[in-house]
Amino acid sequence: MKKLEDRIIKKIYRIETEKTIGQIISEAALIIPIVLSSMFIFSVIVEILNEQASFDLFDFLRDDFETIRDNFFNNSLLFIQEFPLPLIYILIGLLLLLILLLFILAKNSNKIKNKLVSIYKFWLK
Amino acid sequence: MAELSDKDIVKKIKNGEIDYYSYIVKKYTTSIYRYIERKLFKKDEADDLVQNVFISFYKAIEKFDEERPIKPYLFQIVQNELKMYFRSYKKSLPLDERIVSEDKQAELKIEDFKLLNSQESGIFKHISEGYSYEEIAKVVKKPLNTIKSIVRRGRLKIKKIYL
Repeated sequence: MKKLEDRIIKKIYRIETEKTIGQIISEAALIIPIVLSSMFIFSVIVEILNEQASFDLFDFLRDDFETIRDNFFNNSLLFIQEFPLPLIYILIGLLLLLILLLFILAKNSNKIKNKLVSIYKFWLK
Repeated sequence: MAELSDKDIVKKIKNGEIDYYSYIVKKYTTSIYRYIERKLFKKDEADDLVQNVFISFYKAIEKFDEERPIKPYLFQIVQNELKMYFRSYKKSLPLDERIVSEDKQAELKIEDFKLLNSQESGIFKHISEGYSYEEIAKVVKKPLNTIKSIVRRGRLKIKKIYL
């Protein structure tokens, strides 16, 4: 009976090892491309704004407080209007997806950690 | 560790502490093994079935309500595994073991044909030659459903004699 029990436990660990590693790889495979593409899109947006000289709208920030107070709201609105909207929507979508994935990862982190500890103890100790 | 109840163990497993699953395996393997062993034709297959039961339970543990007792749930899995086992076992029984197969290509003995009328034996000969029902329907120029009815009638006749 002991032999059978050991066989069952070994099989369970094999299944769980494959499942956990697969889960980690799939989460990484989702998160890493999202982070990279978000960074790329962000850099493209900054580049576009730079080419449009949109950042010049904030030159007034070097002036005195009165000027800043008078112009901040209007210039900020103008700056927002100059955003390349399709790219902004894509970036927001990617960031929301990233937040969702990180939230799921954070929620399961303790469980995954415990599983990894158990797997490590079983196979490597 | 020994004082842990099944409920606590399930909670821990759900939390990723899979090493606690060995407690469940050690606690229930003997009773499940004995139960399965009594039901099987081949005793050496009991090991595989017991293993399947625990694997199925492990896969379902996320959805398992820890307030429920484990043993009845495990035995429910045992029942399902046994059903699947008997179903697969039945498929491999040859005709001479008094089971008339539902398989279209079932082989019949010469003496079986004597039980049938000329129409039925003609169709069964076509079946044993490997023709499909559709092909036979075309050859004998009868509707497909009529062929199926004739085959069914013929099988029942053979079955009655054997069983």
